[in-house]
Amino acid sequence: MADFGERRNLLGDEDEDEDSFADRQAARGPGRLMAAICDPSRLLHRVVVLFFMCFLGFGSYFCYDNPAALQSQVIQDLNLNTETFMQLYAWYSWPNVVLCFFGGFLLDRVFGIRMGTIIFSLFVCVGQVIFAAGALVNRFWLMEAGRFVFGIGGESLAVAQNTYAVNWFKGKELNLVFGLQLSMARLGSTVNMNIMGWVYNQVALAVGSSGHTALGGSLMIAAATCVFSLICALVLAFLDKRAEKILNKEQGKTGEVIKLTDVKDFPSTLWLIFIICVGYYVAIFPFIGLGQIFFIEKFNFSPTQARAVNSIVYIISAPASPVLGFLVDKTGRNVVWVMIAVIATLAAHIMLAFTFWNPWIAMSLLGVSYSLLACALWPMVAFVVPEHQLGTAYGFMQSIQNLGLAVISITAGAILDSRGYLVLEVFFCACICIALMSVVMLYFVDYIKGGDLNRSAAARAKLLKESTTDAEVRRKPSQVVQSERARLAPMSAFGLRNRYLSRLGAQLPYHCSTHLSSLAHRSVLK
Amino acid sequence: MAAAAKGRGVGVRVFLVVFVFISCQSLIDGRNTYKRKLTVQLIHNPTSPPFGSDLLHVRAEGVNDTLHYLFYNQGAPTLLLVHTDSSSSTVKVNWTQFLDRNTSGGLTVEPQSSILYSSAVVFSRLWEYDDVNDTAEASDDFFPPYELQDFSWANVSLSGLTALVCGTAPNTMNGSLCLKLSAFDSEGRDESWPRLLHSANSSQLEVWLNGLLPRGNHSRFMLELQAVSGAYPLSRVDVRQSIDDEYTPSIFKIFQWVSSMNGSSDVLGFVQWKPVAYRKSHPVLEDATPCRHSDPRPQRGEETAASSVLIRAFYSDPEIMGLNVSFGLAGEPFYNSTMFLSWTMLVGVGSPPVDSFSPLVLTIMVVCLGTPLILLLLGGVFVFLYKKRKASTLGYEPVN
Repeated sequence: MADFGERRNLLGDEDEDEDSFADRQAARGPGRLMAAICDPSRLLHRVVVLFFMCFLGFGSYFCYDNPAALQSQVIQDLNLNTETFMQLYAWYSWPNVVLCFFGGFLLDRVFGIRMGTIIFSLFVCVGQVIFAAGALVNRFWLMEAGRFVFGIGGESLAVAQNTYAVNWFKGKELNLVFGLQLSMARLGSTVNMNIMGWVYNQVALAVGSSGHTALGGSLMIAAATCVFSLICALVLAFLDKRAEKILNKEQGKTGEVIKLTDVKDFPSTLWLIFIICVGYYVAIFPFIGLGQIFFIEKFNFSPTQARAVNSIVYIISAPASPVLGFLVDKTGRNVVWVMIAVIATLAAHIMLAFTFWNPWIAMSLLGVSYSLLACALWPMVAFVVPEHQLGTAYGFMQSIQNLGLAVISITAGAILDSRGYLVLEVFFCACICIALMSVVMLYFVDYIKGGDLNRSAAARAKLLKESTTDAEVRRKPSQVVQSERARLAPMSAFGLRNRYLSRLGAQLPYHCSTHLSSLAHRSVLK
Repeated sequence: MAAAAKGRGVGVRVFLVVFVFISCQSLIDGRNTYKRKLTVQLIHNPTSPPFGSDLLHVRAEGVNDTLHYLFYNQGAPTLLLVHTDSSSSTVKVNWTQFLDRNTSGGLTVEPQSSILYSSAVVFSRLWEYDDVNDTAEASDDFFPPYELQDFSWANVSLSGLTALVCGTAPNTMNGSLCLKLSAFDSEGRDESWPRLLHSANSSQLEVWLNGLLPRGNHSRFMLELQAVSGAYPLSRVDVRQSIDDEYTPSIFKIFQWVSSMNGSSDVLGFVQWKPVAYRKSHPVLEDATPCRHSDPRPQRGEETAASSVLIRAFYSDPEIMGLNVSFGLAGEPFYNSTMFLSWTMLVGVGSPPVDSFSPLVLTIMVVCLGTPLILLLLGGVFVFLYKKRKASTLGYEPVN
């Protein structure tokens, strides 16, 4: 059932389109028709733009997991221990502790979406080149600096990518677009895991011996993907500017409003969601970072097999995320899904730690539960926080997620150096158990408070129907004023929510994304 | 009400944790506190002590049995282990026969009838090969081996229950091969990697190569071991896989070269090691290098007896099995990266010790898995009580 407000927006857009169509006719003059591929309002052109949009993030995801794909080579060629190796991941996360709050602001107010995308792509490219140069001259501090610069660009580039998507595609297409962007991102990670080893061997053959020169050479080759992403950013900027001129629409905005003072208003359920987020993700990403040698040593895998099984998490999450997102939407009951995902991840880690069962089973389970958690956890933030605080809530969640990742990456490396893999796995199990405790408490706190989070989709839709019939009656007279205010107000809830969901791979079917406006009229629900 | 419920919950949780911890401690510590009385002595030839030759004798006396460890620092380094069922057995040396390398019987354990089991491990040769293609396949590019019987060995230096002896290769200035024997009176675990678990029935031998100049640019080393065991030779190498690598990070296997009676799985004696060697004397995880071994094969008894003084003196017709331990795999750094290689093994009677989890790991697992369950239980109880109270306050009572 479509939300009244969003129906209104679409109608507004259609009106806009009709106006601009008339303008376009006038501007073009008589008889000048563009080919479908050059016409920004036609689907074929937008498919071309979609192609560039998807590859915008490819380089960043490809290069993020370069250290994991080349773990033994990095450690051996540069004489590191595991703790120092994990610094490469920590330095990626440190700038994002702060930058999560400012990404939207920079893109909207300071640079604009086009310039901002190019600048962040440039950061990604330059960061990877510095990282590779550090390996070539055998200076580890330079590699850490390169990862830091890379981190500045990486996360903010994802924000820019989503803003482009929301700007160019509307309605039902948006789900497909986000799905494709996510798949491209996962494709980048998977390709990295599986071919970097081969690239290193070829470079070592060409250089003559393996060592930091071969490592630097392979990383420079990986930087080529970042250059490709930079070219996509430039092309996108050109196409967007051209479309702006032709269609007379304004530059896209993230619409994000961050107010740090809102933190004191966060409800306790939100803090529990934060703890779940941190406790869960610190047991996934550092584990994948250290996974290759674990599979080689414990399960006697060959390096190629170990890299393949390490990348299965990403391979599974590409198709699983849209499917699971659809499932979570259809059934609701987010807290139960989160609990299932956390328990499944705990089972996977226990299997890897305490048994010799084929790790493909455990890693596939990990991939599915990781996708499930993303689809169920992130939308919950939108259920507990009012619209105007959503930007701050998401920014805060990502900030502490990055902080947790930075700290736990180093801790995991230190534990491995001194105590080995079993204790490391037990540590990850402990982190997941913290998340599990938070989920259990979330379930009970939510139950006591009335059960907003764990409602089934049918119950939510019913509540919404009741709220909108009342709202419709109340809203009609003030429609004119409201539409003006809508233009000045931040971007619609729909776009804002979809931005964050897409980053984590959750999909929200169009007709079910209506609960936010019901939250704006909380008094009707209670 | 909520605070009281939570307080009760915390109290229950703490009690459970403490209870589990204590029971685990008693489970782990109380298993084998069998202790032996150790005496270490260096036996010299009383008539004319030849300088530089020490016969080390470690006597580990139990309640009704004795373990004798014997080590002689001339000839190929050999550790001889004799298990007798009397707590007053002694070692007798006939020096003229002992020093004559062609006759046996110079070394006996009295009373002879009390000998339950004996075994010996001989380090016979150190092989070196030039691994040009970095495959770690020792094929035919071997340099002439270092015969350890030709090394010039220093005196045995004792410190507490450990004995150290070093030797230098003939015609070389620096570079040495050292052996450290540690005897134990009770169960325990070594402090330095690979942190093998030992019992009172075993002793640990650490071998390391320090500073020996390699003869090739891509040299890797291989150690040849020979072993003889009383009635039943050490015929097979068992592998035990474990999920626990907390004492030797990233090593999940342990190998045991065992001697057992035909057809039975009872182990009479063993040589145990982990497939890891270290490239530094105080290693970190990255200094570990894996090692492989070949299958045990019968050797010529006469050759071994000729190289090892103790074998010749104690055994009359030994049945020798030998295997090679090669250090390094393809892709691992070569010996010349650190000029150091160390490897540790455990020699003993009876069944080899079995590793188990440390209390830390068990505690963490119990706490981590138990707390959510307890929370779930308590939360369920709490919610049930809350609902009942809410229902009782909100419901209207009937008027009549």
